[in-house]
Amino acid sequence: MRNSTLSLLTCFLSLVCQAASAQVDYLDEIKPIFTEKCISCHGALKQEGGLRLDTARAIIQGGDSGEIVIAKVPDESELLSRVEAEEDYLRMPPEGEGEALSAEQIAALRKWIQAGMPAPEDEQGQASPESHWAYQPIERPEIPEADSDSLLHPIDRFLAAKRSDVGVEAVAPADAFTLLRRISLDLTGLPPTPEQQHQFQQSFSPEAYESVVNQLLESEHFGERWGRHWMDVWRYSDWDGYKNQLRGSQRHLWHWRDWIIESLNADKGYDQMITEMIAGDELYPEQPDVMRATGFLARNYHVSNRNIWLDSTVEHTAKAFLGLTIACARCHDHKYDPVSQVSYYSMRAIFEPINVRTDRIAGQPDRKQNGIPRIYDKDLKAKTFLFIRGDERQPDESSPITPDVFNSFEIPFDVTSVSLPVTASVPALIETVEQEDMASADLNVQKTREKLEEFEQVEPTLATGDSQKDVPPAPEFPQKLEDDHLEASYAARAADWKRRSLKARYDAEKARIDDESSQAFKTLAKIAARIERRSDAAQARLQTFRAWRKLQEAKDEKARNSLITALDKAREQERQKLNALSKTDAKFTPVGERYPETSTGRRTALAKWITHPDNPLTARVAVNHVWLRHFGTPLVASPSDFGLRAPLPVHAELLDWLASELIESGWSMKHLHRLIVTSDAYQLASTGDQQLLADNESIDPENEYYWRANVRRLEAEIIRDSMLFVSGQLDQSLGGQEIAHGKGEEVFRRSVYFQHAYEKQMLMMTIFDAANPAECYERSTSIIPQQALALSNSSLTQSASKHLANKLHSQSRDRDEFINTVFESVLCRPCSDEEREACRGFLEKQENWLKEQNSEAEDRKDSAEGEDALADPTLRARQSLVHVLLNHNDFVSVR
Amino acid sequence: MNAETLARRAFLQDMGLGFGSLALAAMTAEESLSAEKLTQLAPRAKSVIWLFMIGGTSHMESFDPKPALNKYSGKTIDETPYAGVLKSPYLDNERVVAFDPNNGFIRNEIYPLQVGFQKRGESGLEISDWWPHVAESADDLCLVRSMWTEDSNHGAQLQFHTGRHRVDGFFPTVGAWANYGLGSLNDNLPKFVVMGDPVADCCGGQEAHRANYLGPQYDGIPLNIDPNNPLPYATPPKGVSPEEQKSEFELLRQLNGLTAATYPGDEAIRARMRSYELAFRMQTAVPEVVRFVDETEETQRLYGFEDPKAKDFGQKMLTARRLVERGVRFVQVYHGSNGGAGRWDAHKGLKSGHTNLCREVDQPIGGLLKDLKQRGLLDETLVVWGSEFGRTPGSQHSDGRDHHPYGFTVWMAGGGIKGGIAHGKTDEIGFHAVENRHYVTDIHATVLRQLGLDHRSLEIPGRKRLEKDFGHVIQEVIA
Repeated sequence: MRNSTLSLLTCFLSLVCQAASAQVDYLDEIKPIFTEKCISCHGALKQEGGLRLDTARAIIQGGDSGEIVIAKVPDESELLSRVEAEEDYLRMPPEGEGEALSAEQIAALRKWIQAGMPAPEDEQGQASPESHWAYQPIERPEIPEADSDSLLHPIDRFLAAKRSDVGVEAVAPADAFTLLRRISLDLTGLPPTPEQQHQFQQSFSPEAYESVVNQLLESEHFGERWGRHWMDVWRYSDWDGYKNQLRGSQRHLWHWRDWIIESLNADKGYDQMITEMIAGDELYPEQPDVMRATGFLARNYHVSNRNIWLDSTVEHTAKAFLGLTIACARCHDHKYDPVSQVSYYSMRAIFEPINVRTDRIAGQPDRKQNGIPRIYDKDLKAKTFLFIRGDERQPDESSPITPDVFNSFEIPFDVTSVSLPVTASVPALIETVEQEDMASADLNVQKTREKLEEFEQVEPTLATGDSQKDVPPAPEFPQKLEDDHLEASYAARAADWKRRSLKARYDAEKARIDDESSQAFKTLAKIAARIERRSDAAQARLQTFRAWRKLQEAKDEKARNSLITALDKAREQERQKLNALSKTDAKFTPVGERYPETSTGRRTALAKWITHPDNPLTARVAVNHVWLRHFGTPLVASPSDFGLRAPLPVHAELLDWLASELIESGWSMKHLHRLIVTSDAYQLASTGDQQLLADNESIDPENEYYWRANVRRLEAEIIRDSMLFVSGQLDQSLGGQEIAHGKGEEVFRRSVYFQHAYEKQMLMMTIFDAANPAECYERSTSIIPQQALALSNSSLTQSASKHLANKLHSQSRDRDEFINTVFESVLCRPCSDEEREACRGFLEKQENWLKEQNSEAEDRKDSAEGEDALADPTLRARQSLVHVLLNHNDFVSVR
Repeated sequence: MNAETLARRAFLQDMGLGFGSLALAAMTAEESLSAEKLTQLAPRAKSVIWLFMIGGTSHMESFDPKPALNKYSGKTIDETPYAGVLKSPYLDNERVVAFDPNNGFIRNEIYPLQVGFQKRGESGLEISDWWPHVAESADDLCLVRSMWTEDSNHGAQLQFHTGRHRVDGFFPTVGAWANYGLGSLNDNLPKFVVMGDPVADCCGGQEAHRANYLGPQYDGIPLNIDPNNPLPYATPPKGVSPEEQKSEFELLRQLNGLTAATYPGDEAIRARMRSYELAFRMQTAVPEVVRFVDETEETQRLYGFEDPKAKDFGQKMLTARRLVERGVRFVQVYHGSNGGAGRWDAHKGLKSGHTNLCREVDQPIGGLLKDLKQRGLLDETLVVWGSEFGRTPGSQHSDGRDHHPYGFTVWMAGGGIKGGIAHGKTDEIGFHAVENRHYVTDIHATVLRQLGLDHRSLEIPGRKRLEKDFGHVIQEVIA
């Protein structure tokens, strides 16, 4: 990105410089004007007025209404009069499509026409969507011949062929320590221990490396590491909102995070992961584990405006899986890619019926405590309208939009309605739910009975619901006992009826599902309705009694007044329930929510289309994301834009070969990782022979040909995790509810498990460029002083330094041994002689200084500040050394 | 890659300077070629102090008094000669995030001015009596009375800073663009500092001072007026002495230096080493800014330290001056945060509410303007005052005013802006901006122009900015 800024600038400057001279350079001066101002309507995508302006040839040729430039006669050239026009209806570009040309630009055009429109012969026009590389089918390329026997890995053969074309040569492989740290951090996000380093160094060989790779890929930390990467791309966000009010995403969305981690660990196919995320509810309606995946869609929920919700769903589904930026087509046809405004809304139509709900989890009936937030088609008849100019106040209701994909790529997009199992439309009928609810009703019956039995052994003979009179006080007994007794009997009765009502409603619900028109259902519904009315009356009686009791206990007049109102309300409620007892209808309350019995199947169709092996984008986009995170630079510079603005990448064949491998391996991510990290290219050193470096850099300063490894800054999460890991403090338990972001320096779980949402991110994470929860297809890596402050002053580093120093200090008193082990623990490499020398000097100096401090402190022992300095000077100096290494550049980098 | 480029690239990666700065550096170098054609402009201001009142300050009762409101008090707008405002096409500019049944309506019954106003200074600018101290600098003020925005709810707070409606998402803020485009004038302090509790999460949250896609290195850095804890992580942990830390830093530099020598091509390590040096200096420099020991009592009084209600904001204003004095480029100060819409949101009790709020900020802002001027800093410091929108000419809940995006005031002072002028107009009842209308990004463009940045060049590849994001420089107000 930065380079292109520079080259744009260079090109701009040269444009300016040359304008001053008499010569007009078409490519530098004129073409950029047309590209910026005109070709979105007069180019490969659209030819308004039959006119194209993307080549000089086309400009000279003109459009439907004839020529627009007349050589050497600028004043008679339509082109000039249109760009100069003051009237809005004449001016080009038209209002709303772009700013008018500047005086300089117009002068340049004039000069060019005056000169007779000179231009190079072989000028290329704007690429057309039909021929755009990323839209072509992926054909498995031939692996180039190796010119040496040592180059066996296909990745290296592809790269070697390109390198020899430009004349760069790969540096030597990385040493064992560098490589082990690199692969460990890349695959699990945790650095290797000193023991692992020694073992690997002793057996250093391709076989040993391969076995390490396999072990790391099998580690459950692999899923945590790569889960976080995909969480960036898939816009993971915990719920956000003010205080307890939810505004975005969903509560308990962490279930989706756990699904991501588990799926990656299980090496679930990437196609399957996409399918479950987009359409898990339609395809696996009875699998709660799969339902977690639809958090991908539930995450887009936005409380205040459904359009925000659906727009981000469309935008980010396209960006994440297809590398397409289509958001601009919300308001107008895409200016650079073949995505019309209609096709944007066609894609939206796929998601139009969706909504979110929370499924119960076995063992937790309270969905506020826990549950699975999920997506489902709620409004099967919802219509989609194009918003004129993207303005939601102006839906074009004349023509509803049908669901479709923006470009078929000749892959079927067949929408077939899905009929859902009864447990999806009536979740109460899920066995565990029914059991739990009945059990809880039973328990309530039992509890209230036991309570009642404390008062008497016999069943109370109280009038049931038909009593119309006021609650009677019982003067012969002490008031308190009698009231408790009465309340217990009302409660027992209410609980009993409640249980009977639930059972009856279940029976009726099941009969309804069985056959709504059957006699059995009609009968059971009537029974359920009758029992429910009695139950309601029993509950109401209990409530009235409780309200009455509260009133008796009222302390003052003010409380009394509000309690009287409450009692009146309860009485009125009870009266209504009692009156209802005379009804005979069959209306009963369903046992739980009822949802549609079918789903539109639109998302299933979309998932099938995205994951179809012939889809040219899906595998390429995924490979690019993985490559980016192993090498530090992507094969396609814009991971979320594979559209017409993305030029053919230098390593297009390699990309396609890897994409074919991904597809043919059954979309195995672990296969892709293994392929990449076992290449020589991945294992190269980041530096090398000085002459070679100089030669290579003169040709390829940006390392576009991967002739060395890129030094990368670690991600925020990995810096924190590594610090906790090397100091032996990391709690390595997996999964579970998100942890409050404010607890990052107290709770030592991995960073991926902490809250990550708008306005709810750990400060340490944002300082180190954590993903923006709203969008992050590629992390940025800044180097700012706040990072230095955070690493040197946070309590996290302090505690890590102390922990590690204390541990190593207790293992060895020897200074050099301590220094060596600290380097291995923190930087995962031996220390050099010079480094050891520097550290020795430091320890010595610090110890002496601390001793001095101590003896001074001896003199003022009572004072509080003397306390700390009195610690063992050797240990304290060693803690300082660890602290320094945790701040070392190489602790936060991968070499 | 030669040594010169290496050094420059390393330099640019350092301290959060990005390629925006390179672009400008390169342009400056080329400036002699043809000044008029180059986009780098002569800077008129070094720094900006951006004051933002959260909730929506009433423009009519502050900087755009409308006597017609008194004349037609109690009448409906339809009964006044200005009934046309209700049919204006400008009403279509309103965009809502979500319909709010309570607020965000045009209120029909004219509510009279709750405060008097006077002509101030030689220029005779009319300013309300709630702003007596600011009014003393009337001849330095440039009132832009013809602002408009889209959002009739408080998402307009975000929109005021990014130029984009809340529904469109998050974008770089004006301060972030300045941070991105400008070089540093003080290596010991961040370029973009934020004070005061920010906009609440309803209305954009911290995104109102963030850089979004430009990257976190361009975010505004929140500063507390507390010498013991001015920035997150800015002070060493308890029990670590400065001597101890200093020798740790020395060893760190030594060790990083050894590694740097092994990897001569690694620019990042050098940048990181410099960032540690800066961080170490920041630990001293930042607390020093918020320690007012060297400020005279007279100065402190000027900022309202004696008034307990004004002291808090007074400290922020004094800090703002100390920051720009030390070369900080953009100081954004919030006032009125309450975790929700903001304290200026006067749906009811406008009179008592605004009386209080103005007392909190008037003397401090007035003090700032005078202090900057007496120190000769006002010429190079552009002070901007604004709020997300104005308030309705009609009444709400009998003694308040509703949100009003159709016309409101922003003022600027110093930094090469004409003083003592009112630019643009609202109609007689303060409803629509009718003359020289300006969308919020016109202020951004003008501010960036004064800093020497061509606002139209502020764009990065892959992130297309819209026309309205750039805005237009308000040429008429530039001195």
